[in-house]
Amino acid sequence: MVQRKLNDSTYGLLLVAPVFIIVVGILFLPTLYTIGLSLSNFSFLKGHTLRFVGFTNFVSIFSDSEFVSSLANTVVFTVVTVFLELSIGLVLALILNRSFAFMGLLRTTILFPWALPTALNAIIWRWLFNPDFGFFNTILIQLGLTSVKTNWLGEIPLSMYSMMTVAIWKTSSFMALILLTGLQTIPGDLYEAAEIDGAGWFSRLRKITLPLLVPSILLALLFRSMDAFRAFELPFALTEGGPAGSTQTLSLFGYRQFFQFLKFDTGSAVSVVQFVLILLLGTFYLRIFRTENE
Amino acid sequence: MSRSGKWVAFAIFAFAAVSVAMAGGKQEPAMQKPVSIQFAISPREVGKVIPDYISGFEKENPNIKVDWLQVPGVPDEQHTLYVTNMASQADKPDVLAVDVIWPGEFIANGWAAPINDSFSSSELSQYLPGMMNSVTVDGKAYGVPLYTNAIHLFYRKDLLDKYGLSVPKTWEELASTAKEIVQKENNPDLVGYISMWAQIEGLFMNYLQFFWGAGGHFFDNAGKASIDTPAGVKALKTMVGFVKDGLAPQSIITYKPNDAMALFRQGRAVFMVVQDFVWPMLNAADSPVNGKVGMTRVPYFAGHPDASTVCMGGWILIVNPYSTHKAEAARFIKYITSEKAGLEMAVQTGSMPARNGMDANAQLLQQYPIAKQLYADFAVGDVRPSAQAGARYPELSHEMQLEIHSALAGEKTPEQALADAQKNVTKILGK
Repeated sequence: MVQRKLNDSTYGLLLVAPVFIIVVGILFLPTLYTIGLSLSNFSFLKGHTLRFVGFTNFVSIFSDSEFVSSLANTVVFTVVTVFLELSIGLVLALILNRSFAFMGLLRTTILFPWALPTALNAIIWRWLFNPDFGFFNTILIQLGLTSVKTNWLGEIPLSMYSMMTVAIWKTSSFMALILLTGLQTIPGDLYEAAEIDGAGWFSRLRKITLPLLVPSILLALLFRSMDAFRAFELPFALTEGGPAGSTQTLSLFGYRQFFQFLKFDTGSAVSVVQFVLILLLGTFYLRIFRTENE
Repeated sequence: MSRSGKWVAFAIFAFAAVSVAMAGGKQEPAMQKPVSIQFAISPREVGKVIPDYISGFEKENPNIKVDWLQVPGVPDEQHTLYVTNMASQADKPDVLAVDVIWPGEFIANGWAAPINDSFSSSELSQYLPGMMNSVTVDGKAYGVPLYTNAIHLFYRKDLLDKYGLSVPKTWEELASTAKEIVQKENNPDLVGYISMWAQIEGLFMNYLQFFWGAGGHFFDNAGKASIDTPAGVKALKTMVGFVKDGLAPQSIITYKPNDAMALFRQGRAVFMVVQDFVWPMLNAADSPVNGKVGMTRVPYFAGHPDASTVCMGGWILIVNPYSTHKAEAARFIKYITSEKAGLEMAVQTGSMPARNGMDANAQLLQQYPIAKQLYADFAVGDVRPSAQAGARYPELSHEMQLEIHSALAGEKTPEQALADAQKNVTKILGK
């Protein structure tokens, strides 16, 4: 057998090839296929001929009030939860960044909600929220703070606030973790120098910590917004989108189209809308990220 | 190829050749070539009895081998699996156990074979007529029910006795009875009525029971959806009224069956409408209401005593239209839906066979005294309008849930909700 020496770039390409094929195969091609489906009238139904229908599916979902309200729910859910998670996460990260006794224990405890699967979280919270024998109402009524049984998941718009609470409770710690990594890369001598110059705690936070934390904040925002925008397990296990569709997210709406109604054409259109919106969001963050780094 | 590689290849070839030859040699000349059919059912509810069914059937039919395809227990996953299978026109599985609301879709898409050639009309009349509605389209039957369950009214015997009240037959009686007991008990933790009115399939089933009980039929004789009707308004207004008047707690619109069961089991509700699977839990030794609970059919509205008001669920057996062994498949279905097999299923798994006359079976009654009541309720049972709605049923049900919930949450008046439901369901079915 003739031994042939591979040059570096060919060798590199060969090493990358398996991953490249997998990425193209399981990410790129299905995405293209979904875009194709969204422009067709694809259906399993008998006596059906596949046709290109242009933007008909998009017109039909945007004229469907259920889709529009799911989109609105998703946007509100994303904006509110991500903002509050970031705020709480920042506070947690600042606390965790100091060294004191039982630090390790505290860090583990804070990560606990994030470690639990979302579906499990949702089921636990359903019981906590139960108006008749749940934790919250029992405590509130026993303490004499109220005599009304609050219907946490059964009133509009309270049900949405309750759902947001679960999301914030769960993912603030994840925010904190990312921000903490950022905090730990800030060199300690900066603070020392600032202290010598007579800077107080607040101006150190404003002049050193926050500016140097921006890359981590953007990263955390990017991750969390994309995740919140795709929220599925939480409404699915907590409310099934109720009452009267008031907590239905885009992903839950899309899931119904695909897996319950077998409407692959409209379901694909929903996915494409979601894909485009997330893409825009990601591009937006990355653009700020780049300007920040320049 | 290297030297050793050649040897390996030769060894593989030789082994394959010998195996083929041996397999060929094993074949004995038989009168009839044995056929093999595949039966798809999840092990979740009646899995325990399936191996016995298969061995019993194979003993009686030595030429038919049955292979059990264990499908996922989660109905949505099962549905996806079946649909993928059918869309690719695969000839296996030959027999499929499907949820009671799927046959309409399967029939509309040509995924269920008509069975009238293999089952005589007297054979078909042995199954619960309410359940047969789920597989009958234009007078043709496309399957038979294997087992069934239903939504019943559960009541507190002890409380009714305490105040000398009788078990309500109508919704009007139920409302006044519940009101009286709650008032006299004077316990802030006791509610009159509880059920599962979260935005789930069970909500639509509950609505249908009110609707049927007011004389409503979801599809009229011409096959058109008739939702915005006096019966519909009466049904939805009653449901909304239950919450408004405090007969049912506000929380009912977030309740799933298990939540309702938990409340009732704590002795905190006079009446409850949920599926029969809660019966053993209510009567368990550690249940606070053990021995204090009665069960009966779901009420109707005054003036409609003949209405079927018990909404049934359960599993249906259908034959794959692409199967190459339809006759053998039908034979297997007959075997496992016989009275003997049904009794075996009830004894081993607690699931009730969907046959008439099972309540006359002494052995069944001895193990399950409640079966007498179960079958009395099945007799006034019906199924969701999935056979007529065909492939669009899941969408129809979702739309109904949304509109019913809008009225219950006070977002719309019952009239407005039903008018919107009428418009949207007509649109869904027209597609």
